[in-house]
Amino acid sequence: MSSVGNAVTRRGRKGVDGWRWAGRIFLLIMVLYTALPMAWMLLTSIKSGFAATQFPPQWWPSEPTLASYQKLLDPQNSVGQDFLRFFWNSFFVSTVTTALAVAVAVPAAYAFSRFRFPGRQFLFFSVLLRNMFPAVIFLVPLFILMRWLGLVNTHGSLILTYLTFGLPLAIWLLKGFYDNIPVQLEQAARIDGATRFQAFLLIVMPLSVPGIIATAIYSFIGAWNEYIYAATFLTKNDQLTLPVGIQRFFSENTTDFPGLMAASFLMSVPVVVLFLVLQKYFVRALTEGAVKH
Amino acid sequence: MAQVVLKDLVKTYGSVYAAKDVSLTVNDGEFVALVGPSGCGKTTTLNLVAGLIPITSGDIVIGDRVVNDLDPKDRDIAMVFQNYALYPQKTVFQNLAFPLQMRKLPKAEIEAKVREAARVLDITHLLERRPRELSGGQQQRVALGRALVRDPAVFLMDEPLSNLDAKLRVQMRSEIKRFHQDLKATIIYVTHDQLEAVTMADKMAVMNGGLLQQYDSPANVFANPVNMFVASFIGSPAMSLVPLEVGSVDGHTVLKSAEGWTLPLSERNARKVATASSRKVVLGARHSTINLHKTQVDGTVPAKVYTVEPTGDITFVQAFLAGSIVNISLPPTVHVAPDEMVWLEFDQDRIHLFDGETEMALRAD
Repeated sequence: MSSVGNAVTRRGRKGVDGWRWAGRIFLLIMVLYTALPMAWMLLTSIKSGFAATQFPPQWWPSEPTLASYQKLLDPQNSVGQDFLRFFWNSFFVSTVTTALAVAVAVPAAYAFSRFRFPGRQFLFFSVLLRNMFPAVIFLVPLFILMRWLGLVNTHGSLILTYLTFGLPLAIWLLKGFYDNIPVQLEQAARIDGATRFQAFLLIVMPLSVPGIIATAIYSFIGAWNEYIYAATFLTKNDQLTLPVGIQRFFSENTTDFPGLMAASFLMSVPVVVLFLVLQKYFVRALTEGAVKH
Repeated sequence: MAQVVLKDLVKTYGSVYAAKDVSLTVNDGEFVALVGPSGCGKTTTLNLVAGLIPITSGDIVIGDRVVNDLDPKDRDIAMVFQNYALYPQKTVFQNLAFPLQMRKLPKAEIEAKVREAARVLDITHLLERRPRELSGGQQQRVALGRALVRDPAVFLMDEPLSNLDAKLRVQMRSEIKRFHQDLKATIIYVTHDQLEAVTMADKMAVMNGGLLQQYDSPANVFANPVNMFVASFIGSPAMSLVPLEVGSVDGHTVLKSAEGWTLPLSERNARKVATASSRKVVLGARHSTINLHKTQVDGTVPAKVYTVEPTGDITFVQAFLAGSIVNISLPPTVHVAPDEMVWLEFDQDRIHLFDGETEMALRAD
């Protein structure tokens, strides 16, 4: 009897192993799929302009050079001045968007999660309405609206626009986090002498930090990468954001590929740094031990 | 410590009554258990007292204050939650200190009170840990400690033991009882476990369907249940209830079964059934008051054994009597087998009689 049992188990385990290997191979392909273009971007950015367009391609640059980076980060020449200004513009717009989105989404999501009020369900789904349509559909209406508000050619137009799609998703995301914080924690705090607001501030807020960070990163990346509105609402050179500004590396006759790749790489740095700094907040399950199920 | 008075307390959700006209007085220093099945309104009632949900109508008085519209923090209560609700980001010390910090006590006093509470509950060695590093029993103690670290007017406990394993539950049960005796605390304790209520409480409030069914000492509730619900809810195994009809044989009042047997009633019990609103009467008897005979004796009625459950010192037998299940307890020396015919003898002084229509207990006077 036991030998039969063993045989079954062994076959079962082999089946699991087969799937596990298939999964690993699949993951490996996915990693290469995402990592290789980035590796190629990095390699190209340290080539000379001639080496970058050579065929057959140089897999490894024969004469690696940081010239493109020096050019981009040098405030003395015009390319560097532009790049740094675009970088700052993008950073400013994304940061303000993120700060506003979080500031509004935290109380809104908490209200949706905890309070029962008339029209709650309707309001909650209507915040997603904006996200059900492709961004292009709102391009002209929003442009007209921004002109009416006198915000065309200001960063305010972008911040407002990014909030229209960043905020609903931020609320939606955060509500999920608040739903997972046991309501008894707040009740306990209120019985222990806290007001409703103190219970929120002292007990719930610290526990929702991972949610707030996730929401902030999401909102930041959305604003950081946005192209189409930035290209439409802004025309003055000194206001452009990075995704639009990088276009300048394309020109009719030649494209400065190493410069383009170096700029792309520098553009990805803030997002990666943001992740690295904040990732430790994700792995900690903060509410563990709060309640016994 | 203080007394708590509930007057005609009502809580509705739309047209549904979660609590209906609940009135009871918890005296200073009394341990009252709110007991009933799921959804009976006991937790709702507790949350109303705590102020976590607003009341629809009625009054709640704690001490000499009407607290209907006060915030939970101003009601001078402490509460232990079923799932403990410990603050996960705080250490045990910080958990215990939180209610005192909220009341802006000086630091040295907080330190002293937390240490004292920790000493009483034997959790001093855990003060620097966080809730997730504690076992279920330890978390339970911390939850209790957070309640007793200040002296509230009332302790509210919402099924504090139901998430513990069986052995720990029995241990904590006696500890909470001891805690009540030492502190002379006023405690309102919600449980669905009638055994907890019976063993711990000075008085128990049996609830069902949002209504308070009976409010009395456990002994009185056990001995004189006011209706069939209370009779079947309190006691383990449950009181057996057998629907029968009133009849008469030779001028004597008897209970008749559909199968044709009759059970003569004592003079006092006959007066009880005379007050019934119809001929339908329900006979109630606890397992320990029923005698089992292997052969027919005068005054016994026939039943058929259904299951036999030996527990060691007592054997519980379930038998079919007039279509209803009857629980009987036997000494382990008596052996019966499933499907065996047996004869049951009821103790006339200890049976309960209920009106078959209103389900209320019938009284002799």
